[in-house]
Amino acid sequence: MTQTRTIIIECLRFHPETDEAPYYQSYEVPFTAEMSVLEGLQYIKDHLDGTLTFRWSCRMAICGSCGCMVNNEPVLSCQTFLRDYHPSRIRVEPLAHFPILRDLTIDQTDFLAKLESVHPYLIPSADDDPGDQPRNQTPDQIQDYLGYAQCINCLLCYAACPQYGLNEAFTGPAALALLHRYNADSRDAGKAQRMDVINAEEGVWGCTLVGECSEVCPKHVDPARAINQNKIVSTQDYFLRFLKPRGRR
Amino acid sequence: MNPPRTYTRGMQRWWLRRPSYQFYLLREGTSVVIALYGVFLLMGMAALAVGPGAFEAWRAVLFSPLSWLLHLVVLAAFTFHAWTWFKVLPLTVPPFKTRRFPRGFSDATLNRMALWAWGVVSLVILVAALRGLQ
Ligand code: SF4
Ligand code: FES
Repeated sequence: MTQTRTIIIECLRFHPETDEAPYYQSYEVPFTAEMSVLEGLQYIKDHLDGTLTFRWSCRMAICGSCGCMVNNEPVLSCQTFLRDYHPSRIRVEPLAHFPILRDLTIDQTDFLAKLESVHPYLIPSADDDPGDQPRNQTPDQIQDYLGYAQCINCLLCYAACPQYGLNEAFTGPAALALLHRYNADSRDAGKAQRMDVINAEEGVWGCTLVGECSEVCPKHVDPARAINQNKIVSTQDYFLRFLKPRGRR
Repeated sequence: MNPPRTYTRGMQRWWLRRPSYQFYLLREGTSVVIALYGVFLLMGMAALAVGPGAFEAWRAVLFSPLSWLLHLVVLAAFTFHAWTWFKVLPLTVPPFKTRRFPRGFSDATLNRMALWAWGVVSLVILVAALRGLQ
């Protein structure tokens, strides 16, 4: 199957120094059955228009940098294939809900700040220091967080979440899923530090369970589940605060 | 260094962008119907407090042909709402681990349990209400 066919790829273009607003530009791209959308974009950059700007690195669905909208669907362009769209044309746009930096690249500054805010690392408790010994976990304890640890920060879930689009302050799916990933880890003792993020209006309560984050996630992280389980945690925290002695949480 | 100029697209008519968004709005929209029906029932209670005349008037509205029609609409909205609500329910419960099910119940099991509970409770209420009417 090395037969070459032609597909029209329509790209959203935007140059911050010369363009008032984005516009579409179409390219006619020859492709073979094994070519991904990313390879289509690379063909454009190499042969048709060197100014087209987009991100990629691994080309194997693990680095999370090639996310974009293909026909309004947030996807990793390296694991989306041109053959599945031919003979129709495809429209490639930067990930929805994010500011466009240039062409298909978006500005992730906002997400990176949110990622930092959830303390996405193990916070061991002071009196439980194993020194240089390994910290063993049972297979069951690993299962508690393994799924949530698969996130590659591709941001497809943010592009699928209308709540994030409507309110940029919402902490959003991936950051909250990662928050849950560390809270669910038996080696972690940092829950209290993450509680403010969970409890905030922009935390888990910013979610209305549209559920699309989990639908589009290429790594099946299921952020919707992570977020909504923490609504119960947040509610418990709210009521327990009245019962516990003052000044302690 | 100044931050680079960026372009932010708006959320104009965002619900048209994915069919699932419309489904979501429909799901949430049916809760308005449920709230309105709650208000209607409250009005019945208020009428009862006011006096027999007011209550009879409310009952007349309740058994009017238009009300029967609206009740069918409300029933459809309730069923849809409950159905979708129980569908997402498993996402909201932390894994409930037991000795036989060390990883907790599957989503499908939780969903089925909830639907059964809903069915049984509805049936009990229906029987009780029918007896009350006699
Ligand atoms: S949760 Fe999934 S969709 Fe969201 S950033 Fe992580 S891998 Fe990507
Ligand atoms: S290029 Fe790395 S995920 Fe697509």
